[in-house]
Amino acid sequence: MKTKTILMAASLVLASSAAYAAGWTGGDDLPTNPLACDATPGEVVAKPYDGGVPTNAPDRNGKKITVVDVPKLIGVGYFSATTKGQAEAAKELGNVDVKTDGPTKANIDEQITFIDNYVTSGVDGILFAANDPVAIAPVLKKALAAGINVVGYDANSTPDARQWFVNQAEFNGVAKSLVDNLAKEIGEDSAFAIVTSTFTTPNQARWIAEMAAYAAKCHPKLEFLETVEAQEDNVLSFNQATTLINKHGDKLKGIVGMTSVATPAAAEAVTQSGLCGKVAVVGLATPNAMKPYVEKDCVKSVVLWNPVDLGYAAMYVLRAAADGTLKPGDTSVKAGKLGELKVVNGSEILLGSPFVFDKSNIGQFDF
Amino acid sequence: MSVETATVRRSASTGFAARTFATYGQEFIILACIVVLFVAVGLIAPRFISPTNLTTIFVGNAYIAVAAIGMSMVIISGHIDVSVGSLIGVLATISGTLAVSGYPVWFAWLAPVIVGMVVTSFIGVLVAYVRIPSIVVTLGMLSILKGGLISVTGGAWITNLPPDYLIAQFRLFGIPSPVWFMIALTALAAMFMRYTAFGRSIYAIGGNGEAARVAGIPVERTTVTIFAIHGLFAGIAAVLFATQLQVIQSTVPPNLELTVITASVVGGVSILGGTGTVVGSTLAAILFAAIGSSLIFLNVSAYWLRAVQGLLILATVLADMARRHRIG
Amino acid sequence: MTLSLRSFMRHEAVLGILLVLVLFVLAQQSDKFFTTANILNQGRLMTEIGLIALPMTFVIITGGIDLSVGSILGLCAILLGVFWQNLGLPLPAAMALAVCVGALAGLVNGLIITRFKVPPLIATLATLALYRGLAEGISQARSVRGYPEWFFVLGQGEVLGVPTQLWILIVFAIGAAAILGLTTFGRATYAVGANETAARFSGINVDRTKLLIYTASGLVSGIAAVIFVSRVSTTRSDMGTGVELDVITAVVLGGTSIFGGRGTIIGTVVGLILVQALKNGLALSGVKGDGTIVVIGVVLIFAILASNLFSRNGDG
Repeated sequence: MKTKTILMAASLVLASSAAYAAGWTGGDDLPTNPLACDATPGEVVAKPYDGGVPTNAPDRNGKKITVVDVPKLIGVGYFSATTKGQAEAAKELGNVDVKTDGPTKANIDEQITFIDNYVTSGVDGILFAANDPVAIAPVLKKALAAGINVVGYDANSTPDARQWFVNQAEFNGVAKSLVDNLAKEIGEDSAFAIVTSTFTTPNQARWIAEMAAYAAKCHPKLEFLETVEAQEDNVLSFNQATTLINKHGDKLKGIVGMTSVATPAAAEAVTQSGLCGKVAVVGLATPNAMKPYVEKDCVKSVVLWNPVDLGYAAMYVLRAAADGTLKPGDTSVKAGKLGELKVVNGSEILLGSPFVFDKSNIGQFDF
Repeated sequence: MSVETATVRRSASTGFAARTFATYGQEFIILACIVVLFVAVGLIAPRFISPTNLTTIFVGNAYIAVAAIGMSMVIISGHIDVSVGSLIGVLATISGTLAVSGYPVWFAWLAPVIVGMVVTSFIGVLVAYVRIPSIVVTLGMLSILKGGLISVTGGAWITNLPPDYLIAQFRLFGIPSPVWFMIALTALAAMFMRYTAFGRSIYAIGGNGEAARVAGIPVERTTVTIFAIHGLFAGIAAVLFATQLQVIQSTVPPNLELTVITASVVGGVSILGGTGTVVGSTLAAILFAAIGSSLIFLNVSAYWLRAVQGLLILATVLADMARRHRIG
Repeated sequence: MTLSLRSFMRHEAVLGILLVLVLFVLAQQSDKFFTTANILNQGRLMTEIGLIALPMTFVIITGGIDLSVGSILGLCAILLGVFWQNLGLPLPAAMALAVCVGALAGLVNGLIITRFKVPPLIATLATLALYRGLAEGISQARSVRGYPEWFFVLGQGEVLGVPTQLWILIVFAIGAAAILGLTTFGRATYAVGANETAARFSGINVDRTKLLIYTASGLVSGIAAVIFVSRVSTTRSDMGTGVELDVITAVVLGGTSIFGGRGTIIGTVVGLILVQALKNGLALSGVKGDGTIVVIGVVLIFAILASNLFSRNGDG
């Protein structure tokens, strides 16, 4: 009898949830700012500096500094690549001691504890990629109050919790790049689905929301089917992508992978289903994971920024902030071999435009 | 105990069918659920039961069923292993690394199985001879294995796997090899558990360790062997897991241990030890995979997916309890 | 009883020595470890796990386990946001209601275990999935932010120089120790764990004891959720993932037997301090995260192994 009640409850939940309106699942509800449909770059808004300021930071100009990098999680190829870039920059600079340490799962709880411990141990600088922009703010502010230089990359915190944020690309820029590539490969009125990590990952949620806004503006006939979650797990992403292919059959013309784990898994799903060339896979991924698919022409291009460059730039920015050569109000910063990087949105430093890996260049990269 | 007495009394009047149902009740229920699910969802969304999707469901989760075989044995004997997820992650990485480093393919398949058995035997020794509760040992091992894996690999992708290494992608008579592994290993293990003295001793130890000892079963040695067998299955599961795709992500798959334990437990293996079958755990693994896939086909809002899955697990567990108490 | 008390005292002794040893070594490795500021800060960080470990001690002493505490924490956390922002309730009411939901979730666990006779491991494994799923579904993966300043005093503020939540932890710990050690309820808890059938026959209302304990576990998880939200100033449906393993590690390290019948609050507190000290001290001395979890795993096995070797009974 009690079992029957539970079964009834289950079917109620099933019924009600099936009635949910189909927006672009997985996007967040923050305001969007889609770019123009042609190649007009977005307007660069000159904002006053809105980053945080360390309290009584000691003069670190030219001196050796210890820096810790706390990414979202360790043990994933993407952040191993940013670590590599940071190490490269540290070597060039010669007076930086940097190491990467972070949680083993993409969870704010642990990331905060890591940063907290490093604040206590008295590092000179902290690099971070936040699991949650608001949750990480208190501990970062604590770091600033202790005179530590704080620079973020990849995933931002609230602006006042860090001095600078190295942005790989604007959210709307990434969204435009992905949607344009998708429309180009599958056609203007085809259907596609999305594979993401989780709905609570801030960057992914932002991108999906921006993609929805941009598609509504510039590719209105593209049909969004659904979004599936697959954590950061390769095999689960593969299974989810294959299920999508099985469910929609011929209707599904493209899959968008929102993380560097989801995209290779989606490509694998397309390959194993024998649909290479018939179902396009577009997304963010590291070259190493995608080499097998790009070389077999299953995937035409992979959109990403260069995470090695991202880590490299972040390291240079931190050094400049610690030295005092990068001050609030500056409009650009020198970042070694990357040249001058522009300051946008008050306290963000733009890496540049997304990098496209394809068959011609993917072999040159090893991350 | 009371189940057997009740069935002995009843079998005099009701015969084979009732007896089989009493011992295999949960397995029948799960099989019935699977059938109902496939029929119901198949009517609503016919592509759900297309051969390609059936392949996806079975193949994608076969490694969970295989791992659950070993886990079921451990649980039946009265212990538990919460480190199996980390173990599979480590073994998969070892396997992949050997494959790309030029070792012969059969070695890349065999090494993880052997390493798995060594690790779990070590756990078994700590549990049986040093008498540390299995949940404690495996909780510790979980951290050790996970930390060790990350330290060594940093999550680097293993690519360029030789094609003849990818055993999970082979097909025999058109059916993918993981399905064969799942069926064959389940059948072998089931017969082993039921018809060999060793298999029966697993139930005995789980049911009442002291009585088993008094009856002459070498409890400690048997326990270590049970853990070793568990490692064997974990190793095979790891190879199947590693060879599903062309790349290996050398990390610990999230929540794998919970999935495997849930499959065993929902499959009728009692956490109190002494009852349950590996057939049940395999069926449960299939059921979960099918549920997961069906929820996508039924357009259940992606935000509610996990809640529905949790509810269904709970419903299955409650149904099992209700059934046990009706008989006992 | 005396025999197990003696063997338990041996575990306490082993644990105490281990703690002193660990603290000594860690203090040598880094001069920032043994400062008042750091110690108070660690107290702040370990409050959520510490609070949940208190009723978990009761749960494990009765021979049960509660794997759903992390999910209850996540559920209560997002409900706090939902009650306050989406339903417009005043914040104190939202906090109280969120804690009540935690208690309700614990009660449901208890009912499944006592009425349906589902073994605690399975029951809470199922509710772990269910509650986490509810958290995700109800919140629609949205976070709630923008709490008023006074709310942050709970998680980020101080009272008399000591972090606010640490006071709460201390009060709860003393209360839990008193209940476990000095009241009939505490004795009933031990009795249920030692031999449930005997306890039932000697007139103890076993079901009611268990119901209260599991409800308390849920309630305290709710309180921990409120503190957590206050500490990080936002809500997320994935909060508290994995908390159950940390809590169980602390409780088991503290000498509570997983088979039931043995354990103390003071042991749990020592176990808690030991784990936190390791996490913090190792990080301060330059060991990275992956190394730290390996050390904690080794310490867990070693501590139980040592106390087993010293105890004559060798009965887990």
